[in-house]
Amino acid sequence: MEKIREKYAIVGVGESNRSKNSGVTPLELALEAARVAIADAGLEAKDIDGFMSYSEMDSCSPHQVATYLGVRPKVVKEMFGGGSSTELLIAEAIGLIETGQVNTVLIYRSMNGRSGVRMGGGGFSIDALQNGFDGGSFIIPYGAGSPGQWFGLFATRHMHLNGLTQEHLGHVCTSFYEHAQRNPKAFFYGKPLTMEEYMKTAHLSSPFTKHDYCLESDEANAIIVTSTERAKDCKSVPVKILGMAAREVVSHAHYWKNIDEVAADYVAPQLYKAAGVSPEDIKVASIYDCFSWVVLRQLEAYGLAPKGEVGDFVSAGNLRMDGKLPTNTAGGMLSEGYTHGMNNVLEIVRQVRREYEGTDRQVEDTELAICTGWTGPDVAGAMILCK
Amino acid sequence: MNEETKVIYEKPIPLKNTYNAPYWDAADRHELNVQKCNTCGIYNHPPGPSCANCGSIEVTWENLGSNITGEVYTYIVSHRPFLPGFQNDLPTVIAVVHLEDYPDIKIIANVLNGNAETVSIGTKVKMVWVEATEERSIPQWVFA
Repeated sequence: MEKIREKYAIVGVGESNRSKNSGVTPLELALEAARVAIADAGLEAKDIDGFMSYSEMDSCSPHQVATYLGVRPKVVKEMFGGGSSTELLIAEAIGLIETGQVNTVLIYRSMNGRSGVRMGGGGFSIDALQNGFDGGSFIIPYGAGSPGQWFGLFATRHMHLNGLTQEHLGHVCTSFYEHAQRNPKAFFYGKPLTMEEYMKTAHLSSPFTKHDYCLESDEANAIIVTSTERAKDCKSVPVKILGMAAREVVSHAHYWKNIDEVAADYVAPQLYKAAGVSPEDIKVASIYDCFSWVVLRQLEAYGLAPKGEVGDFVSAGNLRMDGKLPTNTAGGMLSEGYTHGMNNVLEIVRQVRREYEGTDRQVEDTELAICTGWTGPDVAGAMILCK
Repeated sequence: MNEETKVIYEKPIPLKNTYNAPYWDAADRHELNVQKCNTCGIYNHPPGPSCANCGSIEVTWENLGSNITGEVYTYIVSHRPFLPGFQNDLPTVIAVVHLEDYPDIKIIANVLNGNAETVSIGTKVKMVWVEATEERSIPQWVFA
């Protein structure tokens, strides 16, 4: 990855309307997001020759999206996957552009995540859950059927060993909800959360309350990736990929086998080596936040806060706008919306572009930004961006 | 429904397959059977077609009997049923337990009758088998 440092860029971002009940198909949401991203880049649909998407049997195909934009693409790619798929698809797009097979790739995630297929909401049959995971029969009969429970097993022990408390989870939630108050498009705009309210909220599945869970939304997000050279033809400010680690995994496909390791631990060294920078250089962050604890664990994994001091780091307000590492500044998946991480990608691109200049939403120092993806404890990817 | 109605087991019953059948067959006999690698010596749980530590196909099964004790390594207390059958059994404690005599084996099950006040990391438990049907039994944990 060192070889392609700053050679590729995100040149367009766009989103559809965000709602709890879109009333339209994921295809229409994807088309809406794609059109916005193409306009944002100052391109035309025919300039896009690669279309990629990830989904969990809840979306539309890239071939459909290209078709209804009136384009016959050279490459389409769809994959089954959740968080961190954006990073993986960006890496695949770079590979295809680098080998001369396409010029410009549109990557999207579209879902009726609330009104349609809900994550952990009974979208899969019990037998499919048992057969679908390595060692599935060893977890499903015990009621462990949702990510909140699976990740909670990791969280309980990690928090126990590292002095992390409910209040530390609360700092993640209240910081992100505070960001959402500056984002009129966030679901929780106008609904701030105080620590007092947070601490009074009951667990759904320990150690998580409803505030520690991400939202569910009907929406699509899209980004456009091309070479920095070609980005000169775009009207947008290109956000360059300084380095990335596409997708690392833990040591066992049954990831409950070793609940002391997470994939982000393996991503971090590759990421910083690729980008040629250190964690201290990072000034703004989008950290995958399907659950509050996942943010704490990644702050540790990516060296953004020292192991054992992550609780102090968030208690000191460092995730807030005036902190050392303003994080998920649109509100994140805890309070803005949920597209398996892509909404966090859109926000970090806008921060690095300095699109919010002159408002209280613009982070002061955006020279180097980190964006992380987390499918689960088992799978992760991340990238470092710059202007 | 009257008092004599037999309680129907509504929770998911483990599906047997090529790799896990010896484990669940033993569970039906109220015994713990664990896959072991003859090459590197580790216990390979959950079981698979070969060893997850060294890749050897020389895997076999070791019966550890019915007197199984361990300590809670981590756990969660779920207050909502995320799968069918758990709605009458809340809160549900789901625990990863490492076995006292075989610390490299960790087994996930519920701590029956446990709750947020009574279960913590280090809680000592022992294995019992809950008869789900006439043929099938499910290993579970109770306080030791």
